[in-house]
Parts: sequence; C-alpha cells; structure tokens
Amino acid sequence: MQNTLTTAMPVASGRAHGAALPRRGGGLKRRRELILIWVFLLPSLVVFFLYRILPLLWNVMLSFQDFSLFGKTGWIGIEHYREMLGDEVFWTSLWNTLLYIASAPVGIVLALAIALMVNSEVRGRNVYRTIVFLSYPLMTVAVGIIWRWMYDEKVGLFNYVLRTLGIIDTPLPFLQSFEWALPSILLANVWQILGFYMIILLAGLQNIPQNLYEAASIDGASATQQLFRITLPLLRPSIFLAFVIGVMTSFTSFDLVYVMTQGGPAHSSELLVTYIYKNAFELSRVDYAAAITVVQFLLLVALTWAGNRISGGEAGAVKTE
Amino acid sequence: MSTHMPLSRITRIARGTASTLLAFAMLSTPVLAQQKKISFLTWNIADQEELFKEWIAEFKKIRPDVDVEWLDKKGPEFPAYYQTQVIAGTPPDIINTQGGLWLEYAAAGGMVDLTQYMAKEPEVRKRFNADYLANWTYEDKNYMLPFYISKSLLFYNKTMFKEAGLAGPPQSFEQMMEYAGKMSKGDKTGMLTLNFDWLYWPFFKMNGVELLSPDLKKAAFNTPKAVQTLEALAKATADGGINKISWTGRWVEPNGAFAAGNVGMLHAHSPAFFFIRGQAPWLNAETFGAAHVPGGWATPNSHGLGISKGSKHPDIAWEFLKMVTSEKWTAKFSERRKVLTGNIASDTTTLEKMRKDDPLAASVLQTQLEQTDKLTGNWRLAKDSRVKEAFYPEIQNVVLGRKTASEALKDAESKVNRALSR
Amino acid sequence: MTANAHRPRRATARRKHHWSLHAGLLAVSFFMLVPFYWVLKTSLTGENIFVYPPKLLLNDPHPFYYVDVWYLIPFARYLANSAIVSVLAIVANVVFNAMAAYALTKHFRGRGLIITLLLSCMMIPFQTTIVPAYLITGKLGLLNSYLGMALPTFSTIVCIFVYKASFDAVPKSLIDAARIDGLSELQVIMKIMIPLSASAVATNVILSFIWSWNNFMWPLIIVRDPDMQTLPLGLSRFLTYHENTTGALYAFCVMVLLPGILLFLMAQREFIQGLTSGATKG
Repeated sequence: MQNTLTTAMPVASGRAHGAALPRRGGGLKRRRELILIWVFLLPSLVVFFLYRILPLLWNVMLSFQDFSLFGKTGWIGIEHYREMLGDEVFWTSLWNTLLYIASAPVGIVLALAIALMVNSEVRGRNVYRTIVFLSYPLMTVAVGIIWRWMYDEKVGLFNYVLRTLGIIDTPLPFLQSFEWALPSILLANVWQILGFYMIILLAGLQNIPQNLYEAASIDGASATQQLFRITLPLLRPSIFLAFVIGVMTSFTSFDLVYVMTQGGPAHSSELLVTYIYKNAFELSRVDYAAAITVVQFLLLVALTWAGNRISGGEAGAVKTE
Repeated sequence: MSTHMPLSRITRIARGTASTLLAFAMLSTPVLAQQKKISFLTWNIADQEELFKEWIAEFKKIRPDVDVEWLDKKGPEFPAYYQTQVIAGTPPDIINTQGGLWLEYAAAGGMVDLTQYMAKEPEVRKRFNADYLANWTYEDKNYMLPFYISKSLLFYNKTMFKEAGLAGPPQSFEQMMEYAGKMSKGDKTGMLTLNFDWLYWPFFKMNGVELLSPDLKKAAFNTPKAVQTLEALAKATADGGINKISWTGRWVEPNGAFAAGNVGMLHAHSPAFFFIRGQAPWLNAETFGAAHVPGGWATPNSHGLGISKGSKHPDIAWEFLKMVTSEKWTAKFSERRKVLTGNIASDTTTLEKMRKDDPLAASVLQTQLEQTDKLTGNWRLAKDSRVKEAFYPEIQNVVLGRKTASEALKDAESKVNRALSR
Repeated sequence: MTANAHRPRRATARRKHHWSLHAGLLAVSFFMLVPFYWVLKTSLTGENIFVYPPKLLLNDPHPFYYVDVWYLIPFARYLANSAIVSVLAIVANVVFNAMAAYALTKHFRGRGLIITLLLSCMMIPFQTTIVPAYLITGKLGLLNSYLGMALPTFSTIVCIFVYKASFDAVPKSLIDAARIDGLSELQVIMKIMIPLSASAVATNVILSFIWSWNNFMWPLIIVRDPDMQTLPLGLSRFLTYHENTTGALYAFCVMVLLPGILLFLMAQREFIQGLTSGATKG
C-alpha cells in the first residue's frame, strides 16, 4: 500500500532517479544518509505536528467528552458519534462535501486545457495567464459577495442577462433554491481556483524535457499524439496534486459557503466544515464539532488511501525513445 | 571523498536553529505589566474608535492604576475569538454582545451576575429603561447593562404605497400580506424582512403563535394558527410579494434592496434606517415612513455589556461599566452613532435634539421606545441557538416551497423538543 | 509546440490552431473577467448593487474610495505587518519545503507513511484547529507576534509536492556527478536542484505569499495589539453595520489583491517553456 502511493507521486521519466542508492561503503553511509533525511524533514514535520497533528489529537480527545466552556468537563464515550449517526444535517453535509469533491475534476480538466493553451506559443499568453490567475489571490470574502450579487434573483447579473436575452421569463432563484444553492457555490469556487490549478499544472509542464517533443516531431508524431503520449502521462503527478487540492478545498472551503449561503437554505449547501464551525462556535458544542472533525479526518484518510489504490499500480514510466 | 554531511555539521545546524527559535520566542514574550489591566471586547463597532479612546482616557483619570485595552470583533468571528480566549484562560473582562449570544454564556455560568452590584448601587439600575434592561435577565439574575438598544419595526416606501393605491401602513397581518402582493409588480418587491436572531418572529406572534410553553421546556408552535400563518407567508413568497432573500439573506441585502427603492415594506430594526438613508437619495419624510408592525410586536436586538466570569478584576470592570453607561457618555455615543442607549435621561435629550435637527431619524428612533411591553422573540432560553437551529431551517423549507406547513411544523416540533431535552 | 520543417501545410495548420486557441482563451478570459469588472466598477463608483437593472457602464467614476481605504484604516501599518509576516512565510516555505521534498525523493523506510500522513494533515481544516493552535502558540510564547502569525504557514504539503515533482525530474546523472565532485547534500539542493526548479520555486513563492497574505482567521485569533494587525483584518472596518461601504470594501479588496498579482507577473519568466527546460534538463 505504501509503495503504490510513492510510485504515483514522482515523475517517472524512465530514469531510476531516487531508486535505492548503491550501497557503497556499507551501513554507516546509509545511516548517515538516513539521519540527514530525517533532519531535512524535521522542520516541516515540526510545523505539521504542532499545527495539524496536535490539534487533531485535541479534537479526538474532545470528541469523547462532554465539554463545558465554563463548568466541568466529563467523559461520555461515544455518545457524540451515536448522535451523529442520527443527525440528518450531518449526513446532508457529508453528501454535499462529496458532491464538492466530485466537482473537482471539472475544474481540473478546464485548468488543464487552459494550462496547455497558455503554455503553447500563442501570442499574448502572458496576458491570458495573468487573467486566469487574477481570481486566485482575491480574498474569498470578496468572491463570495460579488458572486452572491450575480446570482441574485431580482437584481443579479445572471438573471438580468438571461431575461434580457429572452432565455427565461421569470427569474431563477439560485442561492435561494434547495437544488441550485450548492452548484452555484461550486461554480464560484471553480472560478476562483482555476488559477491555482493552472499554476500547479504549469509548473508540472516545465518539468517535461523539450527534447522529448523534438524527438517525437522528428518521428512524425502529431500534436495530439504528443499530448496523449508525452504530456499527459508526465503530467500525472501534477494532475494528482491538483486533484488532492480539489479534495482539500471541499473539506476546507469555509469562507465561500459561509459568505454566500451560510449553508442554507435549510442546510442544502451545508458542508462538513461549515457544520463543524457552527457547532463549535454558534451552538457552543465544541465537543460535538470535534467528533465530526474526527469523522471527517478518517473519511479523508480513507479517500486518500483509495485514491492511491486507484491511481497507483500504474507505472508512471513512459517510454521516451 | 565523503559525500555525506558530517555529524558535527548537522549538530551545528541543529543548535543554530534551536537558538534562533529560542531568541525569537524570548523577544516576543510580553513584558509583565506592573499595572492592572482590563480589556473590553466590542461587537463590530470599529467606527467608534475615537469614542473608545475617550472612554479609556477618562477611566485613566478615575483609576490611574488600571490600563484598559479595547478589542473589536465582527459578528461571525466573535464567538470563535471569545471562546478561544475563555479556554486559554484570558477572557476579555467586559464583553459586548448582540442579540441572544449572552444567554449561551450566562446560562453556562460564564458571566458575572450584576444583580448584586446593582443592589448595592440602585441608582445605576434606575438609569435604564426597565423593559430593555429586563432583556438580559436569566433566572432572575441580571447579567448585562444596555449598550445600545433597538427593536424591529416596519419601514415603508410611501411612493410605492401611493402607486398601489394604499393609504398607510398595514393594520393587520392579512392586510400586510395583501399590501405585499399589491406592490410587487415587475421588479418591485412588496415586502422584505430580516431573519437573523428571531427577527421574523413578530409575524407569528401577531397571529397568536407561541414558540414554547411558558416553562420553556416544550415546543408549542405546532398549532393550526401557525400552519395558517406559515402558509400565508409561503404563498406571499411564491407570488413574489415577499422577496426570497428575506429568508436567506444576511442583513445587508434586504437593507440594500430597500435603499434601491424597489421594496414596499422592510421589516428590520432601527439601525437599518441609517444604513438605508446613506444609500437612498430618494429618502425623505414624503417618501418614507416608519411604523410598528400590526399588534405592536417587536423583537429586540440590543447590544449589552457584561462581565466575564473569568475576569480577574470584576470590580474594576464594574466601575468601567458604570462609567460608560452614565448619562455623559451615553449622550455622546448617541450623538455620534445616532442610537438609543437605554439610558433614560440621555435618550430623552437625544430624541429632543434630534426632533429639531433630524425629524425623520427621530421618528424612527421614537418607535424604539414605544410599546416596549410588546417585546417578543427574546426567550430566556439557555439553548436559544440550538432551538433556532432546529426551528429556522424548517421555516425555510416551507417559505421556499419544499415542504408543506403542517409537515414542516411537525418536524420542527420534534427537532426543537429534542434540542430542549439534551 | 516546436516547429519543425517549414512545410506550408504545417504553417496553415499551425495558424488555424492558433485561431482556435485564441477563441478558447478569449472565452475563458471573459468568464474570468466579468466578476472583476463589477468589483472594479463598484470600487470606482460605489453604486448600490441592488439597483435594477444593473448599470453596465461606469457612471462618473472616482478614485476616492481608494483614498478612503488608505485613511479609514491604518493601511500603511497593516501593509507593513502583512509584508513582514509574508516574507517570513515565503522564506521558510522555500527553505523547509525544499529540504523536505529532497528528503522525500530518496527511498527510505517510512517514506510512504510520511507521505500519507502529510497528505491527510493537509486536509484538516483550519476552523477545527483554532483553539488548540492558539493554546500551542501561547505555550511557545508567540502570541501577538510576527513569528506566531507566520509559523503555521511555514510548511505546506502542496509546496512540498510541487518541489518533489520538480526534483524527481532532475536527471540522476547530474546528481551523481555532483556527488563525485564532493558536494554535500545541502549543496546538491542549493546548487543543482533549486536552480533547475525555477518554476517550482516561483510557484511556491507565489502560493506561500498568497496564503499568508490573505490569511484572515489566524491573525484575528492571535493578535490583540492593534499595531500588529495584518491587512485582511482591516476588512471588518468595511463590513461594519452602520455604514454603506461597498465601494470602499471593493476598493480595499482590489488593493489587497494587487501585490499577489504583481508577484505573479514578476514570476512569469519562470513559466515560459524552453527557458528552464532544454539542455540542462534534457
């Protein structure tokens, strides 16, 4: 299992870079190298330990407690988990979060197309690149506010355009609709994150050696063939990373949902992360929120593992000759 | 040739990193203060920075041995910030809360009972409008003093009323729904309401619907009258009489829409007036009116000041509270922010002045002091937010057309009862 | 892609290819720019966005909202604070993530576990870590400090993987040659890996900058001193209850956005194909 994960990650370009080093000099060299590896990993591990692992453990502990902000705290075992099973808002949030994940491929495919386009020799590619990237550094609060206006039923831009063009007669309630609230948010999210995906894919594209394309051209390969035989396979790690980011966004995309719909109407756009926040801070149920956090984390581990099972096992190596 | 890093080099790097981090940490450690220090946390009122600086300066004269720190957080982040501080053991000594948040903390034992302080100094209690002050009592204990007060009322667009051939503000619920329908032609909306913190509850109360039993232990709203009311609201929403953002929008949207001049009636609380006026060049006494909703019912949404249980200097905090709610300071505050503070003396003088300088604003603020015996939507519920969370989504389900009123009220009843019993 | 022989059929195909590219990119640009147009428009006219029908053109624009922003909040102070925190974050990110990524390019027992762990950690939303993160930072004595604000962002898994992908693409032969020349591991990173990973460095600089610059909740929780506040915390001033500040709000958002865009523009060089790849990585 661990091996499939590691083979999915590196750009395997046929060169066995990173394969087991020749054991010259025996154990001492290897041991020194191991120490080095762990020293190099240390700063990052410390940060993750302090700000991810420890908080997670705090949440785990809290999830088994009946926590009182001002009074006594007691242990209540798995009560919160039992409550969660019967909590329909929890299940709705979970479902919505999964839908959010499922929408990630759409953004990634779009970003991939864009990245390929701006990576070519088209004129003005710098301008296009910048335009696509503009939305990512914009504060999510601003994104939420402006898109909320665009979606407004009476005065929003979308309805205005649709009605002026005669496509619809009565205005559409996007964020006030149980069915359309979440998809509307997803579209706004894609708009903002496109630049992020693009930059990741562009960085990945730079790792592909030019001479591969030159060699392929000489051999008479068309642009399409080059795309599918060279570019995409070698871009796999970046695409995988983009997907990981997409999953991450659906579990952490708090600001956008909060500003646009606060999880409404009637929880139809509630995500796990917004439900956790509400429980912790609006309903003063930090302990229940902790339990949901733990469940979310376990779900993520499962997803990551499954994702690697699916994408792993396929050799990333590509024949380049 | 050696190609690895010698052990001594690694140790050197490690030592260097550790000492740098340590140096940083020491530099950032705050110097222990000789003085006593109190802090007060306000709710989204950063524009009054000047006033708070003056408060602090004045208090320095009264208590030179005390440093006062001012913090301000916006609504959505307020609970996160406050709770973090509580858990860390450093809660702000004084907090300003809006609406019902104080109940969560008071019911859990997180706020200092001010009754004893007021018993020792009864003239403090006499300063305040009794009905508003009573807002912050729980189990007969008083936990907060008024900072600034407001309750819901009905703003209406006289121009739109005239165009629809309507005389004055509606006198009954049915009339209100009728008027909403009449005014909603084309892109105009008949009516909008704010929905946070039970602000929509007067619509139910005016139809005789009670949320809970008198002992606040069980749901009492699943009645035929409630079904009727809800169905009327749903119908008006579906017909366009009531704009849907009433049920899903945050406060700025309905206010902005009314300011644009497209809305016949807006059910909001008094601060909305000043927001609207800033955005509405059309607004004057001929085109704009303020009235009570039919029945005079209103949900208060006032800001209070209280003392955290974890405060290390509750007595000093009380002194500070006394100062800032005294007439001199409440009058200044009223003048700058055009609010009423619940301090009877300063509110009277404020209104008097305002009637001469700004009669329209005065007429709006006047309503805030009228019919204060008809306050609703302000139950002394420890689990207020959980009941709200159980109840409101079901309302949304009906008014936005997903469920029938009887279905939703039944579901809401079981959810609310469950929330109350936990 | 790269041209080869100049056959007329090829040239026409390429030109047609370019037309379709432009069409696609223009459509995408339109989609991306429409919301921006409105943000800019409102920041220059401050009109009520609830007026219907929405005005499509600018109605007497004026730059005074931008001036308002500068004076309404201590903009310069906040800007300086944000800059310091972001520089800390960027430097730490570039260094620590490169080290971690390099370590991960090697095979060792526990590598898979570390990677799974890192991936899973990435997916713990900040909202669930607020209280413990505050307590930990307090124990470290870093409350209300630049380091405290920057510390949680010192390392991110996304940046590690971006580096790793780039490092993995460096030919082994180069590294072996370097080792034979007697370079230490650190020197290998600095003299070979990083220079060949310019686009990865650029990506990580941009990303770590944006994340640290826009970070709102964390500084809000740990900063008490008004002089230490960062730019996003000024946002609340424009969302206060009492005033209509939409024009100023959008002006503020545009001003906060600009440094990130500037950084991106400066890093454009690193993304031009052919500049970094080629003989060195071929």
